[in-house]
Amino acid sequence: MTDLTMTPDRVLELIAMYGAETGAWPADERDAALALLSASPDQFTAALEQARALDQMLLQEALPEPSPALSEAILASAPKPAPVRKNAFGGVFGLIFPQGVRWPAGAALASLLMGLVGGYSYASTGVGYDQADAAYYASFGVDSGEDWLVSE
Amino acid sequence: MSGISELDQITRAANGDRAAQAALVNRNMPIIFRVAYRMLQDRAEAEDVTQETFLRAWKTLPTWQPKAKFSTWACTVALNLCRDRLRKKKPVLMDEVPERIDTALRPEQALASQQAIGRIESKIAALPERQREALSLCALEGLTNIEAAEAMDVSVRALESLLARARRALRAELNAELAGEN
Repeated sequence: MTDLTMTPDRVLELIAMYGAETGAWPADERDAALALLSASPDQFTAALEQARALDQMLLQEALPEPSPALSEAILASAPKPAPVRKNAFGGVFGLIFPQGVRWPAGAALASLLMGLVGGYSYASTGVGYDQADAAYYASFGVDSGEDWLVSE
Repeated sequence: MSGISELDQITRAANGDRAAQAALVNRNMPIIFRVAYRMLQDRAEAEDVTQETFLRAWKTLPTWQPKAKFSTWACTVALNLCRDRLRKKKPVLMDEVPERIDTALRPEQALASQQAIGRIESKIAALPERQREALSLCALEGLTNIEAAEAMDVSVRALESLLARARRALRAELNAELAGEN
C-alpha cells in the first residue's frame, strides 16, 4: 500500500482499519499520514475518538492462559542434540556405521577390508605364483612344494 | 538470547540446543495459543493446535528458509489447522459464508456468551472467521499488515478490508451497548 500522495480519505481509512494508535499504522504510510493529521487535526478528531474507544475495548480482552504442561510437552518433542563422538575417528565411523558401531558387524567388515587390501597388494606386486609358493614352503623349512609332496 | 538473530536461534534449535528451543517456544507459543483460542473458542483445542504447530516447526527447522519470520510462519500453520478443525465442525464451504456477524453460536458458546455479555471476547468470537483472523493478527497480536496478510495468504488490500469490516462491526456493537446503557 505504498502511497506517496496521502489524502484525508486515506488517513480516515487508516484510522478505521488500524485504530487510533498511530504506531499500528503501516510504516510506509505513517509519516505522511501523521503530517496530514497534524496539519488539520480537527478533520480527524471524531474518527480518532471512535477508534480510541474501540482500541480501549480491545485492550480489555482477557483470554485463558495455556497450561504450564503445554510448553513442557512442546519442548519434550523438540529435536535432541546429536550424540558427541569420543574419538578422533568419530566422523569416519559415523560414515561407515551410521547406526552406531556394533562390534561383530564391525569386525566382519574390517576382516573383509583387510582381505581385499591384502589381496590387492599381493596381486599388484607382479610376483608369480612360483615365487610366492617358494616363499611359502621356505617358511616351513623345505625348498619347494615338490619337496613337500615327496617328504609326504 | 537477545543478541542472537532469529536465524541463529532457529539453527541452534534445529541442532538440539535446549536454550534456543525454549526461547523460541517462550516467545511464540503464547501468540499461537491466543490466535488459536480466538478462532476455536476452546482451550483444549487451542492447546492441541499450538502443540501441532510446534511439532511441524521442529520438522521444518533443519531446512528452514528465512523467507518469513518464525512467528508469521507459525501463525500460518496455526490458522490452517484451525480452519481444518472449524471445517470439520461446520461443513459449509467458507466461500459461501456471508460476511455478517454470526449470531448462531454453538450451545457451549451460547452459554459462555451469556455469561460474558458485554465482554469483548464474545464480540470478537461472533465475528466472521476471516475478520476474526485479521483482527487477531493485526490489532491484537501486533503483526504488521504485511506479516498478517502473508499469514492469512491474502493481499494487504484484502486484509485491510477485513480489518475495516471487523472494526466497524465491533464499533456498532459498542455503540449499541452504549445506547442501551443510556
